[in-house]
Amino acid sequence: MSLRKYFRKMRGSTHGSPPRVSHSEILWSWIGSFIGISSVAWVSMGFFQGTDLTLMIGSYGASAVLAYGAVRSPLAQPRNLVGGHIVSALIGVACYKLLPGVPWLAQAGAVSTAIAMMHATRTLHPPGGATALIAVIGSEEIHRMGWLYVLVPATLGPLILLAVALLVNNIPATRRYPEIWF
Amino acid sequence: MDDPNRPLTDPDLSDEDVLDAMRHIPGYLDITVEDFRILYRLARNHALTRTFAHVRAGQLMRSGIVPVRPGDRLDQAARTMANQCLKSIPVIDDQGCVMGMLTESDYLRRLGAEGFLELMLRLILDPVGLRQCCHEMPVNTAMTAPATTVPEVADFSGIVAAFRRCHGRSLPVVDRGGQLKGLLMRKAFVAACHLGPWEETAP
Repeated sequence: MSLRKYFRKMRGSTHGSPPRVSHSEILWSWIGSFIGISSVAWVSMGFFQGTDLTLMIGSYGASAVLAYGAVRSPLAQPRNLVGGHIVSALIGVACYKLLPGVPWLAQAGAVSTAIAMMHATRTLHPPGGATALIAVIGSEEIHRMGWLYVLVPATLGPLILLAVALLVNNIPATRRYPEIWF
Repeated sequence: MDDPNRPLTDPDLSDEDVLDAMRHIPGYLDITVEDFRILYRLARNHALTRTFAHVRAGQLMRSGIVPVRPGDRLDQAARTMANQCLKSIPVIDDQGCVMGMLTESDYLRRLGAEGFLELMLRLILDPVGLRQCCHEMPVNTAMTAPATTVPEVADFSGIVAAFRRCHGRSLPVVDRGGQLKGLLMRKAFVAACHLGPWEETAP
């Protein structure tokens, strides 16, 4: 590939930005994400407060964007939503435990390996990268959880988001979720 | 100006075409315009291949065609055509290979008429001369040669390409050796393809 062709690729391929969604879509995205995140927060406060476990992690904010704001996206489907977090959490915890003295390598390795494994298992879910990174750079509370991090929050949280997505996303006539389960 | 030879099945999708289609689908679509275009082309080619996989020239052709020889007289060839209800007929050599096609248009051109009305007037005014002309002229002086042929194993795209080349209503179907096996009618091909109007499907 010539240098000129290489730089020409940076111009983009499309003229015009993607269309804005309808007001109804905006409203249902807001409602779904509000209920989804508040459900996770409610379960976290109701069942895990005062314990060493935590249910709410930052990557759920990104998951909510997909599960309630881009419901047709392959990245938002149940296999990806749940599988992506589980696979990434496994990789993140493994990197933290295997590379305790080299934090930069653990951090980079966690994210990049999580992406590779999500690709390999057809569970690509962008917030999974954050879940893997949080396992390495998270608080002492997160680190103390060890492999339990894979179950709580990395499995339970996405399951709650999924349940809310199934209930809320199928209310409007113009929405349907999921497109595919596995 | 649009290219008149561009296939109808291969429309040039502009960015605006795709973006407009995306506006008709509720919800955020996580796909770029270019990815959609690539997907569309690949899916369309796959669908065409699957839909028309059964279409083969050898299966659709009309067999048992009695051809004419280059030395046959025009009136004799016309009788052969009429007996088989054909508007064009293959002309073959001694080995059975297709040399050309003799069509109704070839008759008109060779007899110096622009159309059938003019031919009818000539028949009224000079029936003897016309009869003599048809009786004396051999087929090879009027036929269109070389003829566009299509192999027995030709698939959908091969048949379409052949019809686009020759613009005729029928094509001689030949085997590997170029010998005549039958005649593929355009109407039979169109009927086999089940080409109907576009049906709009709700997203």
